[in-house]
Amino acid sequence: MSYTIPIGPYHPALEEPCKVQVTCEGETVRDVALSVSYNFRGVEWLAERRNYQQAVALVERVCGICSNVHTLTFCTAVERLAGLSVPERAQYIRTIVVELERLASHSLWAGIAAEVIGFQSLFMTCFALREQLMDLLENLSGNRVHYGMNCIGGVTRDLVDPKAFLTVAGVVRQTVTDRLIPLFADDQTVRARCVGTGKLTRELALAWGAVGPTARASGLSEDIRRTSPYAAYARLDFEVPVETAGDVFARVVVRLLEMVESCRIIEQAVDYIPQGPIRGPDFVEVPPGEAVARAEAPRGELFYYVASDGTDVPCRVKIRTPSFVNIPVVRPMMIGANLADVALINASIDPCYSCTSR
Amino acid sequence: MMAKIEDIPISMGSMKPWEKKPEGRWLEDPGLDVEKMALVMVGAGARLVTVSASPLDSGEFRLIYHWDLEGSLLNCVVETRDGALPGIAGICPAADWIEREIHDYYGLNFTGRDLPPLMLNEHDPVGAFRGKFQRKVKAGGRA
Repeated sequence: MSYTIPIGPYHPALEEPCKVQVTCEGETVRDVALSVSYNFRGVEWLAERRNYQQAVALVERVCGICSNVHTLTFCTAVERLAGLSVPERAQYIRTIVVELERLASHSLWAGIAAEVIGFQSLFMTCFALREQLMDLLENLSGNRVHYGMNCIGGVTRDLVDPKAFLTVAGVVRQTVTDRLIPLFADDQTVRARCVGTGKLTRELALAWGAVGPTARASGLSEDIRRTSPYAAYARLDFEVPVETAGDVFARVVVRLLEMVESCRIIEQAVDYIPQGPIRGPDFVEVPPGEAVARAEAPRGELFYYVASDGTDVPCRVKIRTPSFVNIPVVRPMMIGANLADVALINASIDPCYSCTSR
Repeated sequence: MMAKIEDIPISMGSMKPWEKKPEGRWLEDPGLDVEKMALVMVGAGARLVTVSASPLDSGEFRLIYHWDLEGSLLNCVVETRDGALPGIAGICPAADWIEREIHDYYGLNFTGRDLPPLMLNEHDPVGAFRGKFQRKVKAGGRA
């Protein structure tokens, strides 16, 4: 005999609203229905009624965790439309900030995963690490969440203390390699909860269009920073961690290794950053046309389509966030799983419902 | 791989070649058979990135199916016929939420499948982005 349990909209693991309706036989999950519309704000509709500068500030509010990559991708699409070239120094600053954002996002996710597993001291280690990243971003931009760093044609603020980035990158690398990786990889409790849980095959990941660490933990190697380089990524050396097991543990491993690679990217970018201007002209004319831009957000590929009618207001802005394609794969991950693992499987894809609903 | 990508338009039944742009290849073929397109793309191992829908002056919609094939972005541009197109979620599961969301926003119908609300509530009228303030683009992306 089957029974149905509604979990949410207030979620046991995450602060954002989502409803996961689970149908079980005994303790085994047989079906899952997802509702994700609680954060719907019509951001695309709003962006088609703001001028380009206003739209930059608007799209930054799509998400509170990966706000910077939203403005980066939107600005890249508009710069393509307008035929603008971004100064080299600005490209490096964009790269540094977007990697710091990835580190802050992954450390937040690692902390939440630790809490879901029931490992409170590990949660505190992750959040203490994240706090240093937030402080650095606040020193650079004046803000802890919406940094306001990107503008059409460049960035709004210059790096005044590059050594601070090297110091924090060193601390993050050391904490991840010396503490987080051993704790997550070797602890018996973590392994018992994560190994073999919430499996997603490579074929299903491709069919459902999964992206980012969720896809790379299932053997798909695509990383937009490598396949379609933007900002300064083409000039930097980094690895793309890929695992093939497709379970929660593989998703943990991919994100932790990505944090080490982000530190490498930041260190190189600080070393190589050239002197020069950080943005182009204040007022940009956008001719009629259309353009797309992609970036590797912390949760995977972020996609923007922007169409212009030649006025100062875009006539179409389409935003496809990584969570929009990653959340549906939770269903095949959960079917056949134990009811007790539902919250962990859901958290393992690092879902962002604010991004998903927009 | 490049020869394979170049052969895709013919495999999909289009007589037009890809147009190369900095961000990827574009195929503007309003009458393209989207089910055949989906079968060819899925068969080639492509990932459906998303579908961008824009309303046209004619009352129809311009849809861009964005695919990723081993890092290359392939954009297939089609137009609706009487406000509808065949759904491809049965061929490509990634299209499920995408088609439901477009239905919510524009009331566009994808035939051959159910379209329960994704972003709207159960009894909300579909077409949340339509109405007298709706912005339109002309064919070719130019307003």
